[in-house]
Amino acid sequence: MHTSHQLELYPKQTVTQLLFKGVKNSAELRKSAMEGKINAALINPKMIVDSFQVLVAANKAVHLQSIGKMKTRGLYSEIIFNLSPANNISEAFKRFGISDSDDSVLVVLVATDDESQVLADITEKVDGQQVPVAELPTLTDVMQIRKLYKVTPQEEKIGSLLDSVVCRMATKDVV
Amino acid sequence: MTVVIGFEGSANKIGIGIIRDGVVLSNPRRTYITPPGQGFLPSETARHHRAVILTVLQEALEQAALTPADIDCVAYTKGPGMGAPLVTVALVARTVAQLWGRPLVGVNHCIGHVEMGRLITRAHNPTVLYVSGGNTQVIAYSERRYRIFGETIDIAVGNCLDRFARVIKISNDPSPGYNIEQMAKRGRQYVELPYTVKGMDVSFSGILSYIEEAANKMLASAQCTAEDLCFSLQETLFSMLVEITERAMAHCGSQEVLIVGGVGCNLRLQEMMGVMCEERGAKLFATDERFCIDNGAMIAQAGWEMFRSGQTTALPDSWITQRSEFTSAGLLLSGSTS
Amino acid sequence: MEPEESMAVSDFLIKGNLLKQGAEARVYRDTFLGKSTIIKERFPKKYRHPLLDEKLTHRRTVQEVRSIQRCRKAGIPTPVVHFVDYTSHCIFLEDIVDSVTVRDHIVSTQQRPHPGPTLEHLAPLAAKVGQIIAKMHDEDVVHGDLTTSNMLLRTSGYVVGDAAELSLVLIDFGLSYISALPEDKGVDLYVLEKAFLSTHPNTEALFQKLLKSYAASSKKSSAVIKKLDEVRLRGRKRSMVG
Repeated sequence: MHTSHQLELYPKQTVTQLLFKGVKNSAELRKSAMEGKINAALINPKMIVDSFQVLVAANKAVHLQSIGKMKTRGLYSEIIFNLSPANNISEAFKRFGISDSDDSVLVVLVATDDESQVLADITEKVDGQQVPVAELPTLTDVMQIRKLYKVTPQEEKIGSLLDSVVCRMATKDVV
Repeated sequence: MTVVIGFEGSANKIGIGIIRDGVVLSNPRRTYITPPGQGFLPSETARHHRAVILTVLQEALEQAALTPADIDCVAYTKGPGMGAPLVTVALVARTVAQLWGRPLVGVNHCIGHVEMGRLITRAHNPTVLYVSGGNTQVIAYSERRYRIFGETIDIAVGNCLDRFARVIKISNDPSPGYNIEQMAKRGRQYVELPYTVKGMDVSFSGILSYIEEAANKMLASAQCTAEDLCFSLQETLFSMLVEITERAMAHCGSQEVLIVGGVGCNLRLQEMMGVMCEERGAKLFATDERFCIDNGAMIAQAGWEMFRSGQTTALPDSWITQRSEFTSAGLLLSGSTS
Repeated sequence: MEPEESMAVSDFLIKGNLLKQGAEARVYRDTFLGKSTIIKERFPKKYRHPLLDEKLTHRRTVQEVRSIQRCRKAGIPTPVVHFVDYTSHCIFLEDIVDSVTVRDHIVSTQQRPHPGPTLEHLAPLAAKVGQIIAKMHDEDVVHGDLTTSNMLLRTSGYVVGDAAELSLVLIDFGLSYISALPEDKGVDLYVLEKAFLSTHPNTEALFQKLLKSYAASSKKSSAVIKKLDEVRLRGRKRSMVG
C-alpha cells in the first residue's frame, strides 16, 4: 500500500508515503501532530500531483536539515513548507497541511531505521481506509493547484503540471 | 638561407628585427614614454618613431653583423594600429626595400605576435590569447585560417590597465602595466569589481568606468590602498581572460595555450593560466618581454613565413590600415604550418 | 564566511556517471528521486581568487535557476529543476532524453548526403532557433552564452526538415541575466553569430534565416537588430588610442 524511497543523497534516510481516504478524525490527527504526538508530515492530498512532488520536498528538507539551514522548526514542517511555492510558513500549513474537515490525508515519514513499527503506529492512529499511493491523482485538485502555483497555460504546453509544480518548489529560494 | 628584416611601429614601440630561418639575429627597440597621467597620441608617437628609426635600423644591422646586401626581404606592419606611426614606419620600410632592391611584404600585426610566439615556444597548435594595449583576442588556427573565438566587445585589456594607471597616476616608465604588476604584488585586500563574460567574449568598459569613478574616492577615504586596487583589478581582468581561454579550449578541444602580446608578459596572468592548464592537463606556452611586447623580429618572422610561401606585397599595394581585417571568418595566412 | 560543505552531494557525485567536463562545470547523469537526472556541478576554479570564485559560482548557480523558471513560465522549453544545492553549487535537472545538441545535428546534417542543398534541410531549424530566442528576449532573459551546443533538439518523432515537429530546449543559463536593454540582447545575438559561424563554416545564409525569423517573431526586434549591427561595427572599428 505505502511507497518507500531511499534518498540517493542520504542513503540512511527513507521517505515513506501512506495515503488514507474516508478519514474521520482529521481534527484529532492535526492536533496530535501539532503537539508532537505524531512524528510525521500530514499533507492534504488534494494539493499533491504525484508522489514525486513529495520526494522533492522531503529531499530538500533532509538536505537543509543536514546543513543546518531549515526555515522551520522541524523536518516535517520543513517538508510541508517546501511544498509551497511561497515563502510564508503559516500560509504553507494552511494550504498543504491537513485541515479539520479533510477526509483524506497523505502521511509522510522520514525514517533512518526499521520503520515497520512506526508505520503500524500511524495506521493505528488514522481512522480511515488506507489506499495505494498510486491513487493520489484521483484526489488531486488540479484547478486549485494551477491557481496556487500560478501555472500559466503556455507553461503547460511545454511540460506536465507536475513539472511546473516541482520547478517552482525547487527554485523558490531565488525567484 | 633566408634573411628577413621586420619593421614594427603600430603603437608606442618602434622595433626592427632580423631573422634568419628561425634564428633572431637582432631585435632592438625603443619605447615612447609619456608622463604619468597621459596616454600616447598618434602624431607625437609618430614624431618619436621618426626621430629614432634610423638609429634603430643601424643597430639592427650592426648587432646582426649584416649588411643590406645580406637581406632577402623587407617586412613591415601593415596594421592594425595607430595611423600616423604605421605610416612613418611603412615609409621607411618601402624606402629601404627600393634602395636595396628587395621585395616588400606587409604583415598583420596580430599574426606577427602569434607566429613569433609559436617560433619561440615551439607550441604546435595552440589556442592563443593575444593581449595588448590595443587587442584582446582568443585565436585558434583551423582549416588554414586563424579564427577569433573570443574577444573584447569594447576596450582592450591593456587599454583598461593603462587608463586605470592614468587615473591614479602610476608611472608609464617602463610601462603602466609593468608598474601595476609590481604594485599588485603588495596588494592584500580584494576589492570587488564588475566581472563581465559573455559567451567567449569579455567586456572591460564597465570595470574601467567603475574604477574611474570609485578609485580616488576609495583611496581618499583609506578604504583600500593603490596596491589593493592594482591587485584586485589584475585578479578580475585576468580571471576573465583565463575563463574565455578555457571556454575556447573546451569548444575546440585544444590542449595548448600560447599567451602573446604586451600584457602576456605579466607573470600573474601566466601563473593563473598555468593553474588552469594544469587542471585541464593542458600545456602553457609563454614568452618574456623581449618577444611579448611589440618588436621587429615578430614582423620579420611572419614575413619570413609569407616570403617563403611566395607572398610579397607590390609597391602600390603597400598601404597600411588602422583596422583589423581579422574577423571570426578568419584571416588566411598561407604558408603557415600547423 | 566559509559555506558549509554538503558532503552528501559530493559523495553521491563521486559514484556518478560523468558525462562531460566543461570549462566551468562537470555534468553527470544519475538516478535521483527515482528519475534519470542531469547534475551540473560548478567546481571551484583554483586560478581565481577564492572570494571571486565563490561569488561567481554562487551567482551563476542562482542565475541559471532563476532564468530557467522565468523561461518555463513563459512557455520556453528548458529542463525542469528538481533540486539545487547552493553549498556544493549543484543543480539537479530533468534529463532531456532522446535529444542531440543543435551543434551535433547541424554537423551531421551537413555531412550526410541529401538531395538538394543542405541549407534547405536546416532552414526550418534555424527559423525555430530564431523564434525561441525572440521569445526569450521578449521575456527580458538574456542568455549570455548562446551557442549551438546550448540548444537541444528532441529527436523522438522528428524527421529532418519537418518544421512542425521541431522541439528545442534551451540549456546552460549560467551567464544569463534579466535585462530589457536592446544593447544586451544585441550582444546576445552577436555572441551567437560568432559561435555559429565559427562552429559551422559556410552557414552565413543559414544564420541570416535565423535572424530573419528572430526579427519576425519578436515584438521589439528592430531596436535589437540595430544594436547587433552596431556591435558588429564596433568590433571592426576598435581603436587602440586611449
